[in-house]
Amino acid sequence: MQRITHHPILKINNQSKTVKFKFNGEEITGFENEPVSSALIANGVKEFSIHKIQDAPQGIFCANGQCSHCTLIIDGKPVKSCITALKEGMDVKKLIHFPDLPIDNREFTDFNLQNLNCDILVIGGGPSGLTAAIELAKLGSKIILVDDKDKLGGKLLLQTHKFFGSIEDCYAGKRGIEIAEILEKELRSYPNVQVFTNSMVAALYKDKKVGIFINFENYAIVDFEGLVISSGARERNLIFPGNDLPGVFGAGAFQTLVNRDLIKSSDRVFIIGSGNVGLIAAYHALQAGITAVGIADILNEVTGYKVHADKIKRMGVPIYLGYTILTAEGDGKVERITIAQVDEDFNPVLETAKTFEVDTLLMAVGLSSIDEFYNTAVQYGFKAVKTGDADEIAEASSAMFGGRVAGLQLAKLLGYKVEINGSFYEKAEILKSKPGEVFQIEKKEISNEYMPLFYCNQEIPCNPCVSVCPFDTIKLNDNLGNIMDLPVFDGKCTKCGQCIAVCPGLAVTLVKKLYGEFAEVVLPHEFEPTFSANEFVSLTDIDGNYLEKGEVIKINYSKRYKTYLISFKVLLENAHKIAGIRVQEPEKIKPLDKAILNYLPENGIVCRCERVTVKEVVDFIEENNIHDANQLKQIRVGMGACGSRTCSVLLPGVFKMAGIDWFEVAPSTKRPLTIEIPMCALVNEKGNEVR
Amino acid sequence: MKIFDVLIIGAGSIGLPVSFYLAKKGLNVGVVESLASEGRGQNRAAIGGIRATFSDPAKIKICQYSLDLIKNMKTEYGKDVDWVKGGYLYPAYDIEIENSLKNLLVKQKQFNLNIDWISAQDVNETVPGINMNKLRGGIFSPDDGSASPIKVAGAYYSLARKYGAEFFFNEVVLETKILNDKSFRIKTNKNEYSSRFLINAAGADANTIGKMVGLELPVIPDSHEAGITEPVNPFFSPMLVDIRADAESANYYFYQNKEGQLVFCITPRPPIAGTDCDNTSVFLPLVVRRMLELYPRLRNIKVRRTWRGLYPMTPDGFPIVGFTKEVENYFLAVGMCGQGFMIGPGLGLIISEIIANNSTEYDFILDQLTLYRSFVGNEILK
Repeated sequence: MQRITHHPILKINNQSKTVKFKFNGEEITGFENEPVSSALIANGVKEFSIHKIQDAPQGIFCANGQCSHCTLIIDGKPVKSCITALKEGMDVKKLIHFPDLPIDNREFTDFNLQNLNCDILVIGGGPSGLTAAIELAKLGSKIILVDDKDKLGGKLLLQTHKFFGSIEDCYAGKRGIEIAEILEKELRSYPNVQVFTNSMVAALYKDKKVGIFINFENYAIVDFEGLVISSGARERNLIFPGNDLPGVFGAGAFQTLVNRDLIKSSDRVFIIGSGNVGLIAAYHALQAGITAVGIADILNEVTGYKVHADKIKRMGVPIYLGYTILTAEGDGKVERITIAQVDEDFNPVLETAKTFEVDTLLMAVGLSSIDEFYNTAVQYGFKAVKTGDADEIAEASSAMFGGRVAGLQLAKLLGYKVEINGSFYEKAEILKSKPGEVFQIEKKEISNEYMPLFYCNQEIPCNPCVSVCPFDTIKLNDNLGNIMDLPVFDGKCTKCGQCIAVCPGLAVTLVKKLYGEFAEVVLPHEFEPTFSANEFVSLTDIDGNYLEKGEVIKINYSKRYKTYLISFKVLLENAHKIAGIRVQEPEKIKPLDKAILNYLPENGIVCRCERVTVKEVVDFIEENNIHDANQLKQIRVGMGACGSRTCSVLLPGVFKMAGIDWFEVAPSTKRPLTIEIPMCALVNEKGNEVR
Repeated sequence: MKIFDVLIIGAGSIGLPVSFYLAKKGLNVGVVESLASEGRGQNRAAIGGIRATFSDPAKIKICQYSLDLIKNMKTEYGKDVDWVKGGYLYPAYDIEIENSLKNLLVKQKQFNLNIDWISAQDVNETVPGINMNKLRGGIFSPDDGSASPIKVAGAYYSLARKYGAEFFFNEVVLETKILNDKSFRIKTNKNEYSSRFLINAAGADANTIGKMVGLELPVIPDSHEAGITEPVNPFFSPMLVDIRADAESANYYFYQNKEGQLVFCITPRPPIAGTDCDNTSVFLPLVVRRMLELYPRLRNIKVRRTWRGLYPMTPDGFPIVGFTKEVENYFLAVGMCGQGFMIGPGLGLIISEIIANNSTEYDFILDQLTLYRSFVGNEILK
């Protein structure tokens, strides 16, 4: 069983009931009510379907109900397995090409059209939707919140790391999973709030209604006065040969499998993209006991927070900057990937190729806002606000603040008498700031007294270390005058260790001179220690360069922050440089001695649903003077289940390859439904009531 | 300024085939279209059915041509437009509908159409699992079928360009002048063009374009919503048309296309006039309920996408085709009443014969579809 049995942060639930089910006739087991897709992955299944084009094997891709790559035949019906709960005795079969429609000739007699009404419909219960809904609930409006997951919190639920930001505004220092619980509890405490989980908005309609697919079983039409659109973002993708092999999936999908479903989806992952999502994916992999072989980014610098990247490097994950993905290869699944350096025009230099043996390639190449709901709402003249990633891709800390502002803005639009505190806007802006300047770390003289050292030298919106210090001796320098500033220590330290434990970047240490040429360094550690007192452990500098094997003096655990604080005896000369504990040794993650180069870039897939290659699209554009993305529907691009939601972000690049400037191309029209809905559900056959 | 033999206003279901057949006959053709590419008006909203089984000589002739042209697109021009010969089937669940269909049948047989009454059992064989309760039988025309509107539009666009037709997209016609030598001068938001012949193939905008030369065309668009499902393996072949009316809808129809997807559409009752093409909440529950009553097996198929398109309607439900008396060399190909996709190929060929070769073979069509008819009467199977 490929399940996660130990995790430093997540609670392993052993209470789930084991059920038996069949996959392609063979009896296997899974946990009741977990997604069928997760149960299969736990059983080592990678291939979910065979595409009609070239009989290409297809695996899970979004794990999020958005695409349809996990479609299986379950009890005779074609369904998306990532949103289907596992039950005892299910008969699950691989989908080969197209499904047969089940023969069910029972007369259709019993149906039921459902109507709901509310003042405000909130689309998406992630960090911004929850906070917006809470602000509006306080005003007494009747609220319906719709979210596609079984628990509220959106991406917060997948985040086992501590948050950046500030404690007073956005729970900094707590982990996403904990914040989600706090917000959900608060929201549900209002009697005027109705929450539909496992439910999706299928369409906004011109007659001022919204169609929602409830529990993936029923359909209801909702009347509303205002809309909060907090629908989040979808993951971007890249075009390269092998990009649709089972084993290539989004970092978000990986987080879902690993952190929500506790499935060990992989043994060895490689990550493309060094933004915060990619960096965190590496960290999540390590926590789940998965080897993070490396991170590559086409740019020459890390795009995420430096403090995050440094943390990952210290743990022993190399970041290959200036590298692009060439291929993912393997027999029906990812078995190896090859990257290469790029020249100044971002073209790969094949001589620099490196091949790594991995079973999973995670795409973390950015997010794009799910903005079609908002655009439609504006087009139809509805009163609506957008917030969170649906508005602008930013950190969850900013989203939680932005949500509060957006909720109040909508209240104003709807005629409620509310005051929006001017500082709210300012804070929301600061919290979504891009990382600022990087400063040199000053060398500190180490004394006989404990003092904190900060390996946090890039301005980012974060200050929990300041908030937790009991003596107020940690302050922000006054460079910018806001929470982007860097922390400095001046005065007294009691070795309480809170600043170390709370820091999301694991970027604070405590140091003290011991005797002779030795010093003590206290380091944070977010893994179950694999060592005990008096053992020697590899320690690194801020960038992950090996410094020495430090001797473990003592292991403490901060229950509140779920973080170990580990004291080491180290050389005095290294004490001001030691910033982290290596958890992954370099031997395990080296590339093959010789790169395997089998590079046919024209085979990269643009439209995953219909499996249209980049060559087919470029040739079609060139031959037919294409200047409207809708024309690509002639070769089926955008005609699949996802409605061009996955490939539309790739099209600007594809048109560029064909020599056409994207700004001269008419965009493809996005139409409802957002999710495919069975006909019986659209009319609520069998008189199913909305729960 | 570019000068053409023929200018066509509208690169849609009608304008595209007309442009190809005229260009193929060696004429110098220009096409002005207000939208960004071919077929983006109502062609994109067509569901794809093509039949010749009408009850009037003009549409029968035109659509027999269309069927031939579409069928042969692949062998003749290498363009696969997803043609499927699935037939059209009109089931009858009550005696009134049986009688009206059978009355029509008498007329249709006079035109040698391959269409006949089939028993309830045969209906069930053609559409396995159809609701048999009170089913009396139906009329079935096996030679009719379907194709992909977007692929047909793309095929004609690419063929027309190959033969030298020039397309001007994103250009809105602002003015049409008739010069002393009776040639036309078209002014758009970007350019001016001149031509000897002018064809109004402007679909839902036909009347706006007609007014520029002082014509009042009785073409009023109303709107219909349509949808498409996920693909599944083929399980029934014909276009199924249920002409029973109920409180909110007149009729509805659906078929399974070559990709395996069901495409469906409903006629609202009363009609919704206007040019609004945004989706409404009314459509899906309404059409799905009716489809499941007729064909319960569809309950597990998933609806993928919906859209709304316009039927440029005339008072009697028949198109307006031909030269005008008021303006010389001004040709109307308008008011297709939602059948532009199936009429387009055949009509395109016919118009090219009339304009390029002065053919009189189709005078019976022009007589029937003239602007100067009384417009009383009503097409029975719209």
